[in-house]
Amino acid sequence: MNFDFSADQKELADHARRFLGESCTFDRLRDNMAGEEAYDRSLWQQMVELGWTAINIPEAQGGLGMGSLELCLLSEEVGRVLAPVPFFSTVCLGAHILNQLGQESLREQYLPPIAAGESVVAVALMPGLGQLEYADGCASGALGPVAWLGAADLLISRARDNHGTECLVLIDAKHATVARRNIDGVVLDGLVRHGQAEFSATPARLLASGDEARRLIELALAQAAILTAFEQLGGAQACCEMARDYSLERYTFGRVIGGYQAIKHKLADVQVEIELARSNAYYGAWALATDAAELARAAALARISATEAFTLAAEENLQVHGGIGYTWEANCHFYYQRARLLAINYGNADYWSQQLLAGLQAAH
Amino acid sequence: MSQNDTRAYLASARAWLAEQAPAYSGAARRGLSVEEDLALGRRWLHLKSEHGYAAITMPKIYGGGGGTEIEKVIFTNEENNYDLPTGYFGISLGMPVPMLLKYASEEVLRELVPPAIRGEQIWCQLFSEPAAGSDLAALTMRATPDGDGWRLNGQKLWTSWAQYSDWGVVVVRTDPTVPKHAGLTYFYVDMKSPGVEVRVIPKLAGESEINEVFFNDVFVPDAQRMGGVGGGFKVAMETLMIERYAVSDEAVGGISVEKFVDLAMRTRINGQPALADGEVRRLIADTVAERQGLRSIHRRAMAAIAAGTEPGPEGAIRKLLGARRRQQVSAVAMDLLGVDGVIMTEGAQPTEDFTESWIESPPLRIAGGSDEILRNTIAEKVLGLPQDHRPDKGIPFNKLS
Repeated sequence: MNFDFSADQKELADHARRFLGESCTFDRLRDNMAGEEAYDRSLWQQMVELGWTAINIPEAQGGLGMGSLELCLLSEEVGRVLAPVPFFSTVCLGAHILNQLGQESLREQYLPPIAAGESVVAVALMPGLGQLEYADGCASGALGPVAWLGAADLLISRARDNHGTECLVLIDAKHATVARRNIDGVVLDGLVRHGQAEFSATPARLLASGDEARRLIELALAQAAILTAFEQLGGAQACCEMARDYSLERYTFGRVIGGYQAIKHKLADVQVEIELARSNAYYGAWALATDAAELARAAALARISATEAFTLAAEENLQVHGGIGYTWEANCHFYYQRARLLAINYGNADYWSQQLLAGLQAAH
Repeated sequence: MSQNDTRAYLASARAWLAEQAPAYSGAARRGLSVEEDLALGRRWLHLKSEHGYAAITMPKIYGGGGGTEIEKVIFTNEENNYDLPTGYFGISLGMPVPMLLKYASEEVLRELVPPAIRGEQIWCQLFSEPAAGSDLAALTMRATPDGDGWRLNGQKLWTSWAQYSDWGVVVVRTDPTVPKHAGLTYFYVDMKSPGVEVRVIPKLAGESEINEVFFNDVFVPDAQRMGGVGGGFKVAMETLMIERYAVSDEAVGGISVEKFVDLAMRTRINGQPALADGEVRRLIADTVAERQGLRSIHRRAMAAIAAGTEPGPEGAIRKLLGARRRQQVSAVAMDLLGVDGVIMTEGAQPTEDFTESWIESPPLRIAGGSDEILRNTIAEKVLGLPQDHRPDKGIPFNKLS
């Protein structure tokens, strides 16, 4: 399989890159971090107008009816500029999960507002983010830290019912019984606002339980892994370009530092990791789009490579910049922090290594 | 080639190998001297040539398979499942013969290519010298005009399989009065010519395939020139380009990650199976992820070569990463084995023995473009970073100190 995106899809990506390159600048990121708003509402609104929140929602529910391949490319572009908007949780995961549901009434109710940009979704799927108990149409417990939980309209979360059965529930995050707050103050990567919440007999819709819930969660985690890999890929590529550009400007001992092998070989290693990560992310995109039997394996491979590439690229970008790289004024820190956040979000490298090995051993 | 064609090709190749390969591999090779093993290898190649499996992509009129790059990849993958005596012909059919196909006349091709494809003759590649390795253009071996040909004088180094070779391709200096890259010319040469002396260089371990080759007034007809006088560097680079993409198996000739997983399942760390160790798991996962990532990068490079275009320099990362990975995985395997790692299985191939796999790793990171040269290439060609400081640039070769 030599997978590549179509010309139309590449055009979408080019357009997204130009749009985000002009609108989502580093100054805007700094403004966002200093401001009160959890996310950049005007940028989000522009993305809504471009149809990005509708992209993977069927036309019958007010969407554009495109597939996961378009999401892969948009995720890469969002990752490249670190857009401070809840695109991943709302579109990549929220809309995806809702779209998988068998009950048409649920899809009819919840997808159109997402397509129209009127509904922001937070998603809590990984274990270890707290616990929700579900019984008789209500959920209780505590969750956090969960990205965008403080700002979301809807929450989709893992829960357990009173028999201990795994289920997936949907909650109106603004309901009076939800005590939530943004985690502010000193946090890693302030561009992705995380929230915490307590739920006391909060009305909750049961989306699925038992095997069906596990199937949906497994599928959503594969989707999360592959789309996160694209986000990481965009970030890694941005770091590599930033470091390259700086190395061509900065002089030491009478020549640009990019002419020294210490820098050339460092950046060549980064480039090599990016090529590998791109190759594996594309493999993941193909598996996602074709619902291939090897989806779980492809997801793990995409994620492992992307985490490796972004981590190396972000660290070496800062290193190439030297002292200035550690300042607020230089922009290396945005990527340095995001790389670590994405490395620990939705399963760290050891988690995905275990997933991959479980598959290898099963095949043995 | 459709999916069905591919499957059919795979099925018939697999069946053919299952029938034929056992008599030439594994137990059949145990206890053989190198000469006997080479003879077995020649017979294997001859048999393959009769069934279109030797030099799969080369034209049928010369004894090749007349097939596609994809068929070659499929067959080679399957063939690698057996421990066959194919190594002697890897360079011969890998670089010199394809270069001949590009540069020699029809008459020469009809005479020289079929014996090479049938394993009756072996070709070597005479590039490096004592003072010219990564900086190939610094070579000093001279060719001076003599009648309708040239006289060759000087020394080549690290020439694999020269001791068994009938022919070689060689790059030499024909004009020392111009800058170093401009004064080189490329020939093919009869290794049995008077004045050629081959000396085997013992390696750190095992049977040695590497040699130093001395040329004392060796005559080469001008008809054996490949490319223009002074155009040798370009032809040499074309040769190396093939070499960098020629890594044909995913474990670079060493132990596969599957064999490593087997080992990690049966060895223990602190009383637990090694496979339960987080670092061991990460190593396996990273190795598998790297292998998967390299697959499509390599396929893209192969497709470019098959289409007659030059693959991007990033295609060479299979060699860069694969060799380092083989060394690392083999070393960790030896860690898991503990002191048992000192015992090497007599006659075992690097695909079977962890220590053998480790001990033969270093040249893979040096030959045909060292790790450092490949990194330079990626930095300069892909990222657009400046060339290294080159004080010899533009200076006539004979004016360099």
